[in-house]
Amino acid sequence: MSAQDAVATTEQLIADIFEQYTAESEETLDYDSFFEDLMFCAQNPINLNQATREQLDKLPFLSDIQVENILSYVYESGSMQTIYELQLVEGLDMTDIRRMLPFVVLGELNDQTNKIYWPDLLKYGKNELYVRLDKGLETKEGYQFLPEEDQSSPTSSSNSYLGNDLYNSLRYNFHFKDRIQFGFTAEKDAGEQFWRPIHKGYDFYSLHAQLNNFGKFKTIVLGDFRANFGQGLVLHPEFGMGKSSYVLNMSPHNSGLKKFSSTDESNFFRGGGATIKFGKFDFSAFYSNKMIDGDTVNGTFSTIIKTGYHRTLDELSKKHTVNQQIVGGNATYTNMNLQIGVTAVHTQLNNVLVPDKSVYNYFYFSGKQQTTGGIFYRYRWKKLNLFGETAITDNASVATLNGFSFSPMSQVSLVVLHRYYSPEYDTFYASSFSETSRINNESGLYLGAEVRPFRKWKFAAYADSYRFPWPKYGIDAPSIGKDYLLQADFNPKRNISVFWRLKYEEKATNLSTLEAVMPVIVPLKKASLRYQLTYSYGDFSFKNVLEGNLVQKGNPAWTYGVIASQDVSYAFRRIPLKIDFRYQFFDAVDYENRFYSYEKDVLYAFSIPMYYGLGSRYYLNLKYELNKSLSLWFKIAQAVYADDRESVSSGNETIVGNRKTDLRFLLKWEF
Amino acid sequence: MFTDFETQTYVDMKKLIPLFILIALNQVLFSQISTILPHPVSIANTSVADSKNWTAFCNPAMLGSLENSEIGMQYENRYLISELSNKTIQAAFSNKLLNGGLSFSHFGYSLYHEMLVGLGFARNFSDKFAMGLQFNYYTAYFNASNSYHGAFLPQLGLSVKLNSGFSVGFQSFNPFQTNIRTELGTKRLPSIFSLGTEYFFSSELIWRTQIDKEVSSNYRFATGFEYQMLQAMNIKLGAYASDYLVPCLGVGFGSGQLKFDLNCELHPLLGLNTMAFVKYRFRH
Repeated sequence: MSAQDAVATTEQLIADIFEQYTAESEETLDYDSFFEDLMFCAQNPINLNQATREQLDKLPFLSDIQVENILSYVYESGSMQTIYELQLVEGLDMTDIRRMLPFVVLGELNDQTNKIYWPDLLKYGKNELYVRLDKGLETKEGYQFLPEEDQSSPTSSSNSYLGNDLYNSLRYNFHFKDRIQFGFTAEKDAGEQFWRPIHKGYDFYSLHAQLNNFGKFKTIVLGDFRANFGQGLVLHPEFGMGKSSYVLNMSPHNSGLKKFSSTDESNFFRGGGATIKFGKFDFSAFYSNKMIDGDTVNGTFSTIIKTGYHRTLDELSKKHTVNQQIVGGNATYTNMNLQIGVTAVHTQLNNVLVPDKSVYNYFYFSGKQQTTGGIFYRYRWKKLNLFGETAITDNASVATLNGFSFSPMSQVSLVVLHRYYSPEYDTFYASSFSETSRINNESGLYLGAEVRPFRKWKFAAYADSYRFPWPKYGIDAPSIGKDYLLQADFNPKRNISVFWRLKYEEKATNLSTLEAVMPVIVPLKKASLRYQLTYSYGDFSFKNVLEGNLVQKGNPAWTYGVIASQDVSYAFRRIPLKIDFRYQFFDAVDYENRFYSYEKDVLYAFSIPMYYGLGSRYYLNLKYELNKSLSLWFKIAQAVYADDRESVSSGNETIVGNRKTDLRFLLKWEF
Repeated sequence: MFTDFETQTYVDMKKLIPLFILIALNQVLFSQISTILPHPVSIANTSVADSKNWTAFCNPAMLGSLENSEIGMQYENRYLISELSNKTIQAAFSNKLLNGGLSFSHFGYSLYHEMLVGLGFARNFSDKFAMGLQFNYYTAYFNASNSYHGAFLPQLGLSVKLNSGFSVGFQSFNPFQTNIRTELGTKRLPSIFSLGTEYFFSSELIWRTQIDKEVSSNYRFATGFEYQMLQAMNIKLGAYASDYLVPCLGVGFGSGQLKFDLNCELHPLLGLNTMAFVKYRFRH
């Protein structure tokens, strides 16, 4: 990539891809793993001439159709001689190819199971150490103590934070090509004690090791790891695809066993596993045994707590109160046109999970053990790619997802996806295409299209119609909803890209102001339009964003929200310093008009702060490379509200005043 | 005690009331009062600019594009309830001077039904512009008065080919908003104006869009793709939206002069709507 590209660095490219995925999401997604996987691909590029579907699936911006077309092209032509041949692959435009470039190479076919020698390991192995510190400048409510109150005393208020307001994480990784990886992660969230009477050391530790291509062993994982198979209806504990402006990419990527090195404290397994390859069959098995958080009382608990926060006595009392053992396996057969596999997983808890019964969670899992099994497939017939998965739990409830995608001509790609998740289907680590984060109680049909009618233009659109046959959280009656997106991308030059994104959604929600005995739901309509222009000039790059939305909840008048921002980045030539600056203005009348806006951050961090009210936010982000081994990042960001509010945030996070300032520092050492 | 007649009437009413509710619900949720009008073979109701298919009671100008005579029939199993089904037969006669079409559609069952007969004429002028006119007679059976009531409903259609790959279609059904008046009240009949486009990405891939306005209902927006995947098979997908978003899928098989199509729609509340079409095209 050239410095003239609209997106200048691989790190920025990854952040932009993630932003595009999460632009419409309100969930906290695991950016660590996403970033790490793609950075690993950048450091160990995929050899297109011997790439497998599994490897290309690691590039989440490629759709199933594009992956199939690349594999098909290489199969038919023998091998690619030059990277420019990618232009001959159907369904790939220059934007896709530029995105791919940092992550792929063209090489000779070679044996990937070569013997590894210790001297090579020491000489070519790469070590990376990251130290990150975050701190808020204003004192939050949770850190306010009465003069006579000893904050470290167990008898002090169970609601105030026990530790200081510093966030710190430590991360060490080693990798030798793509064959050997190991490392550890330690993290202390702000408010958690580090070295005081109640808790000593970091709050969260994680160790991992992964070996690839050792004899018959395709993968061996030890320590913390993840297991993803099929479409995710049985097992997919990480970032799942969903509705985004990548309208063709709804299927989960990253199948198989892989190490876990993120600071996410809940969505991983702890133990070991292996995948063995026999011809066209892959067999995987794994075992996990870890403690999870829950509000346990007398051997029962109602909720699995996934926040990872242990800042107060109350939160600490719920830490690691439940033992969870998971054993699972998968067998997959893969050939050029067909992939079919079965997955089974059994979960055992030492305490009984009994959700507090209310209407919406009436069918949620309760008990100590659960077994889930599923069968998934992917089949290419002519230009049609058929895919799907059907899963069943031991209470005979079913979830099934089936679809097909095809590219009738290089300018047009279409996808259809139907899903049915019964209200009774509820399993621990499922993550797949869904309107909500929970895979149950939903049916719907999704249609997506990507059309490139003219050079430099791309239109993407989807329509999704869905139904919740049973009440959902926040919707106390069966309901339906619909979603539309239309995005037009225009890339007139290599250093200019612009898009317009129109989104409309309509779903049901509780009428919160009404205290009715019978549930009262009202339609919630939201229309939004976003315009974004990214361009570079010399050592400068710029980004303009303008977004507005209109929301109607029930029958009152529509409320509006507006956000506008200007980003400027500058890379100095004479000193290894890069600066990002943003000024942003927001005016969102109501909470329903809120905005989630991605902002540049220190490495491995990904901020999507939420705004509503009237105010502005600005930040300065610096990256300085001291030498080849040492790099520093520093960020300072401040939000100032102009709507006469006297405090920001709520509960322990409350700040008196109308400002919120965050500092972030990261040191990276490569050796 | 009920007499036999009263018992029979009571049983009929027991059947009738839920069915009236279903029909009323169907008409309300279907967003248009156009249950009598059969769904076209074009996916997601994008028929107004469909130059490849002529469907009864859709754009009569498309009759003009036919080069061969044809006969066809259609069965629409609306939401898998036989009482809501729609049956249609159609025939088109190709002639150098003027093409003609005859069509008949039946909706409902013995206690409530509607019928529509149409006689249409169309001509294609130098392959750039086609115009069609259809005369429809609508009739409905009213159980309460045990009588039929009917009305004439004209239909006009236009098709303009702007270039080799792009065309625009327009049609108006019952433009004068004729209704039926009975002793019990007025039954409103659909009055629909439609505008649509057709774009050929290639000879295999067609993209259609359409906007419909039934005078007393919301606008309906529709779009669909049709892809000739094999010589004998095509697949179709699309969606239309008015008060509800309804995704649609279809598949068509053609062998010689015989063509078979199966389209499905998934209404978020009412469920699955399936339509089957069979058409036989005569040689010159």
